[in-house]
Amino acid sequence: MTDEPILEMLSVDEAAARFGRGPLPAAPYHDPAWWEREREAVFLRSWIHIGHVCEVPEPGSFVRREIEFAGASLLVMRGRDGQVRAFHNACRHRGSRLVDEMSGKRSKLSCRYHMWTYGSDGTLLSAPDFERFHVAREACALKPVATEVVAGMVFVNFDPQPAQSAREFFGPIAAAMERLPVARATCFTEWTYEIGANWKTNFDNFQENYHLRFIHPRTGEQALGPENPFGYPTHYGFLGPHRGQRLWKNPDPPPIPDSLRLGYARVGELACREGLDFPKTDFKLFPCFHVVGLPPYQNYTHTMYPLGPDRTRGQVRMYWTAPPADAWAAFSREFAAVAIRDVLSEDREAVEASQQGLAAIDEVHFQDHEVLLRHLYLEVEKRVRARGKTAALAEVAA
Amino acid sequence: MSVLPDGFAALEPFAGLWSAPDMAARAALRDAVGDAERQAFHAAMKSLVRPALERLDGKPLDALDPAERLLLALVLAYPHVAMAVEVQGGAEVRHAALRRHMRITPEISPPA
Ligand code: FES
Ligand SMILES: [Fe+2]
Repeated sequence: MTDEPILEMLSVDEAAARFGRGPLPAAPYHDPAWWEREREAVFLRSWIHIGHVCEVPEPGSFVRREIEFAGASLLVMRGRDGQVRAFHNACRHRGSRLVDEMSGKRSKLSCRYHMWTYGSDGTLLSAPDFERFHVAREACALKPVATEVVAGMVFVNFDPQPAQSAREFFGPIAAAMERLPVARATCFTEWTYEIGANWKTNFDNFQENYHLRFIHPRTGEQALGPENPFGYPTHYGFLGPHRGQRLWKNPDPPPIPDSLRLGYARVGELACREGLDFPKTDFKLFPCFHVVGLPPYQNYTHTMYPLGPDRTRGQVRMYWTAPPADAWAAFSREFAAVAIRDVLSEDREAVEASQQGLAAIDEVHFQDHEVLLRHLYLEVEKRVRARGKTAALAEVAA
Repeated sequence: MSVLPDGFAALEPFAGLWSAPDMAARAALRDAVGDAERQAFHAAMKSLVRPALERLDGKPLDALDPAERLLLALVLAYPHVAMAVEVQGGAEVRHAALRRHMRITPEISPPA
């Protein structure tokens, strides 16, 4: 099984014919003014992955998420009604930060300052001497952020009235993600990082295989062969602003080290037992979310949150449908996580070095096998320009 | 009395250093020790990992006795050391400097 019916799969030449060739301005990768426009046009108006329902298993469970690009601290909380919502972590009285803990479980949230108290659904339950405020209680609920759960993952949109629901935005990819282990996950392995690079510079690294042989000479050799020395994907896939790739299967990979073989020895069997049978997956979801599934045991999500024009925070999660049942499961998971973390670590230096020189060059060059980078670039640019037009029209109207 | 299950006495010299409580600690251990310690642990473990897994096989993790739990901790440290010795090789020290930035979130890693 693959994702073929979901994305429109094109050969490299078909993709280049559709999305064009030639250099593009480098400024969007480093210019602070462009970043500000991107923040407005893309990040404050798109569905952003911020967590998973397994982090808030019971009514009253919450996690706090700092979303730097929005300057927001959010609480993701499960209400007594079972629904998962996100609110600003800010008391409606005079703005006090409500919760300091990163996670917890409470039936009510009380503000330390004057004891306004909220329910797990965000409604204001009580406030001392409230009659003196002359305001409706309903107007004082915690300020919500549009929230939607897709495939167990929690997405938020800072647009008070999102143009599309998350499900509409992801289209048929939403249903495909519902078939992945993430949709049934009860726990996950996670690591996070900060990197001195624009979020697109960082994402682009995971959108091309051109660098494999140079940056991953040890961990990447399985992906290269004499008839495909760069390990290029066979097809590139597109669906609106989203994209993906079909990896080339090396017919004659070099032998893998003994230990790695042991790490993989039982994964097929474990995957069956744990309900981890999933199609080979590569969804690069607009703007900054990567869903990867290499059956049977290497599936992960990678979210890249921009911190500024040249800084990004990354989060990688491997989702599991149950805690490890026995030693083989624990061992195989540890191996899978160590292997993926080792590979992703190798990209860091190249990505940061690339960021450092971008301001010195006026243009970037994309080869045909970097068409996914071009696609992301064009999708971002389209939104920034459209938003600029809307803003200009609003100014004229005012 | 032995601290490890029967048949794994050869691992006892490593039990103190290499029994870390979770994945974050095991990853940190890989970085903290020297090449010689990684090599020695790898050499001792290499032929015993499969027997150890077979010894522990089929038992729920919370039903393991203290000796088995210690053996499992060593088994889970092995992937870290195997990546260092068998895959990264001479590049391990340089790789560690990059890897350090990938901070494993401790409390939600799979329990050991
Ligand atoms: S600021 Fe929260 S009760 Fe006053
Ligand atoms: Fe890479």
